[in-house]
Amino acid sequence: MDQTVAASGAPGSLADPGAPGSGPGAGAGARARLTAPAALRWLRRVAGVVPFGAYVTLGLLLPMIAVAIGAFQNNSGGFTLSNINAATHGIYLHGFWQSIELSVITAILPGIFGLLIAYAIFTAKRGNLLRQIAVTASGVFANFGGVPLAFLFIATLGSSGLATQWLTDLGFNPYNNGFTLYSLTGVVVVYFYFQIPLMVLVILPALEGLRPAWREAAENLGARTWDYWRFVGGPVLLPSFLGCVLLLFGSALSAYATTEALTNGTIPLTSIQIGSFLNGNVIAGQENIGKALGLGMVVIIAVAMLIYVALQRRAAKWLR
Amino acid sequence: MASISGAQGAVPGIGSGRIRRSSRGSSSWRGTAWRWAVLIVAGVYFLIPLWAALRFSGIKAFGSVIGEDGFTSSLGLSVRLAVVTTLITIALMLPTTVYVHLRLPNLRRLLEGITILPIVIPPVVLIVGVLQIAPGSLKGTPYLLALEYVILAMPFAFRAIDAGLRALDLKTIVEAASSLGAGWFNTLWRVVLPNLRTALLSAVVLTVALVLGEYTMASLALFQTFPVWIYVNSQTSGQVSVAASLLALFVTWLFLMAITMLGTRQSRKTGGGSVTLFTVARQETRGN
Amino acid sequence: MTANITGNAAADGTRQVTGTRGTSVVLQDLSRSFGATRALDGLSIEMAPGELVALLGPSGCGKTTALRIVAGFETADTGSVLIDRKDITSVPAAKRDMGMVFQSYSLFPNMSALDNVAFGLRMRKVGTADRRKQAGELLDMVGLADQARQYPHQLSGGQQQRVALARALAIEPRVLLLDEPLSALDAKVRLQLREQIRTLQQRLGTTTLFVTHDQEEALSMADRVGVMSRGKLEQIAAPDELYDHPATAFVAEFVGVMNRLPAELQGGGMVTALDSTVPVMNPDADLSPGPVDVLVRPEGLAMQVIENGNGIVTTRTFLGSVTRVHVLLSGDVTVQIDKPSSEAAALAPGTSVSVSLPADPVLITPRR
Repeated sequence: MDQTVAASGAPGSLADPGAPGSGPGAGAGARARLTAPAALRWLRRVAGVVPFGAYVTLGLLLPMIAVAIGAFQNNSGGFTLSNINAATHGIYLHGFWQSIELSVITAILPGIFGLLIAYAIFTAKRGNLLRQIAVTASGVFANFGGVPLAFLFIATLGSSGLATQWLTDLGFNPYNNGFTLYSLTGVVVVYFYFQIPLMVLVILPALEGLRPAWREAAENLGARTWDYWRFVGGPVLLPSFLGCVLLLFGSALSAYATTEALTNGTIPLTSIQIGSFLNGNVIAGQENIGKALGLGMVVIIAVAMLIYVALQRRAAKWLR
Repeated sequence: MASISGAQGAVPGIGSGRIRRSSRGSSSWRGTAWRWAVLIVAGVYFLIPLWAALRFSGIKAFGSVIGEDGFTSSLGLSVRLAVVTTLITIALMLPTTVYVHLRLPNLRRLLEGITILPIVIPPVVLIVGVLQIAPGSLKGTPYLLALEYVILAMPFAFRAIDAGLRALDLKTIVEAASSLGAGWFNTLWRVVLPNLRTALLSAVVLTVALVLGEYTMASLALFQTFPVWIYVNSQTSGQVSVAASLLALFVTWLFLMAITMLGTRQSRKTGGGSVTLFTVARQETRGN
Repeated sequence: MTANITGNAAADGTRQVTGTRGTSVVLQDLSRSFGATRALDGLSIEMAPGELVALLGPSGCGKTTALRIVAGFETADTGSVLIDRKDITSVPAAKRDMGMVFQSYSLFPNMSALDNVAFGLRMRKVGTADRRKQAGELLDMVGLADQARQYPHQLSGGQQQRVALARALAIEPRVLLLDEPLSALDAKVRLQLREQIRTLQQRLGTTTLFVTHDQEEALSMADRVGVMSRGKLEQIAAPDELYDHPATAFVAEFVGVMNRLPAELQGGGMVTALDSTVPVMNPDADLSPGPVDVLVRPEGLAMQVIENGNGIVTTRTFLGSVTRVHVLLSGDVTVQIDKPSSEAAALAPGTSVSVSLPADPVLITPRR
């Protein structure tokens, strides 16, 4: 915060000479002393984001806190650890592991495929119809899930689905070889349908950050395609790639509708289990376990984000 | 569905593999072949289920979709929710993002971090918490959903607007407007907003797509929006449900395409490049 | 002009530099179209070993396209590129052994300056210790030894371009290609780098192709300058030749400032302007009598303060050692005349002067 400039901009104007980075002495490194006018000025400046902050608090923070608190409450409102206990054992623990396993697989694999597809789109001639179609399609498919998607795949890879029939005609019936759409494997295949487009969408802007001059400079210095990706393209893209994979992980973890429609709750996944608490499909008196499960999910995400941050720092050093 | 990072304005075209003669070397030929292989495999994976669904539901089902019980009411609800959500989202995110860009650039990173939260926090968990703390009056109306949808849409709206702002030199044009005597309202309305047209369009489109497709929170909060209706209806008539899903998919896609093309035509007029859903890329300048 | 290390003036006025290393580069009849636009139209240039040739021209003239074809990033529709008399048109960019410096932001952001410079050596499988040492020496050569461990985003624009130069030279290229490397820098840095590049280039004797739109840059650095317009090479010659004997009106007006005066062609290769009749300079022009325009440099016009002269001074601009004077002549023609500032004292705006053509040959061009 710049404390050396007294004026705070013409009244009614948007340009603010007091803003950091503008005005004489801005960013000169003068240590701010919290005098009353300075604090007031700071408050006034922050005032602009108050509506947003309030909304986020009400709509996001408070519900989360409610869930967190509820996780520790028993039916009469007293403090208890029994919910947490239940949530971390038995089928619920199993649910957590399954969810994590599913999310990791459907984050990394679609991450890689999505990157390949995004790169293929990106290096096609720019402004092409292909590119616009592909990006729009990704936007649509990334949001496409739930029951409709489940139906699509039942019609495709269900026991009498179209693709199943084709494969049978070719001599290989997947259902005779242990595959079923209504298992974890099937769910993974279905998840790709929205995870890959999501990846394409979020990695495309990062690809645009790859300057062609780098590629050309590398080529000019004798690098082949592999060398370029290994020494320049890869390292530069890595943080974004990891960020996107994290996004995919979160998205997979929170997915609910698709699996519900496909499996009707036969596979233990945390999101489904939470849903069943809300649907009332549980023994009375155990509702708060659902909240404990919710808390658990948030913890998982938080851990994932920490791993991401650590990885990002490491990645900068690894690929020297 | 949003941009995590990425610099703006880079001229694209890495290894533009248009081969004129094989003299370019085998590397770019291999590159093009590989690219087409990837796209074809992707195309197959994404198109086959659509085709299968089409065959399953049959063309007739499309006709009867509209006549089905609850179709109009649920679609109407979804559309109303989409409108309300979009309005609130834009009203919230636009001023905030502009403000942060102008006055609090240090907070931008924090803002970005906060907007990631709704993506990674499962809507399932969120709705549990919301139903907990929402006052009873609000719980009765579906507009509770709209309020929460704003939170869900927030990341995407932020990304779109943020990308649009980063492509501008916001500080400079605001100072220029100021020096010419424009007050804050005029500056926003006449200078900043027109330059953000495509970014805003993206934000709107993404929000609408989100609301029209959201199932989890709506069903758990017991409101019958369009996606919920599709599920409920599927118990009785699978074919019609599938037809409705395909229809919804197709319409959303058409909608997005139209917006993207409109946006591109608009931005080409003002010297920009083609518009994708998240960035307005600069036009490639051919060599000297 | 910068002095050369060794220089021989060849018969056609080109200055030949014989360096310690350097290969000949020949561009033969290069053509390239992008859709309907003809970016290059039969460009042919022969570069002697160790020579620095600048390609100069306005935006869109094809100079960058030509450079990129030589580098291997574009392919020509027709024509070929010969290095050391060998056709390299089908050789991929990575194998061409050329060093290229781009306009800006071409340093790899994830590597330090040292690693950037060492990159080409790494591609050539030079061992870690060796390549670090060589890279260090190169950074020293461009004066950035202290910045070896810094990352591109920590360096200024001028420093980045110096690192880029060191990186290009690290591989000891046969040819050095520079794509407007100084355009993105500020004036003072530009001047310093200009000298540094030229000195380095001459010391190493590397054949260099330099693309720029800044004529001052081209004239001060190059052995020969090729002026391009719309894909064609208008003229290629040593800087002074270009300035004194421009082959076409485009070159004349692009390089330096030219005054344009209405004139009348008489028969026999003479032209009349400003009441003087002088010979025509361009030998292959159409000499049939009629109206033409005559092109004269500011220093090529004679001016005297006199009562009732044929012109009136409109503006006078002090530029340091020289003062630029604009004179309005009859027929609504304004000319620009440069005078040493010591002589310009009497030329206040409004002064009546007489402007005339000395007896030297002048360039004619069709009446506009």
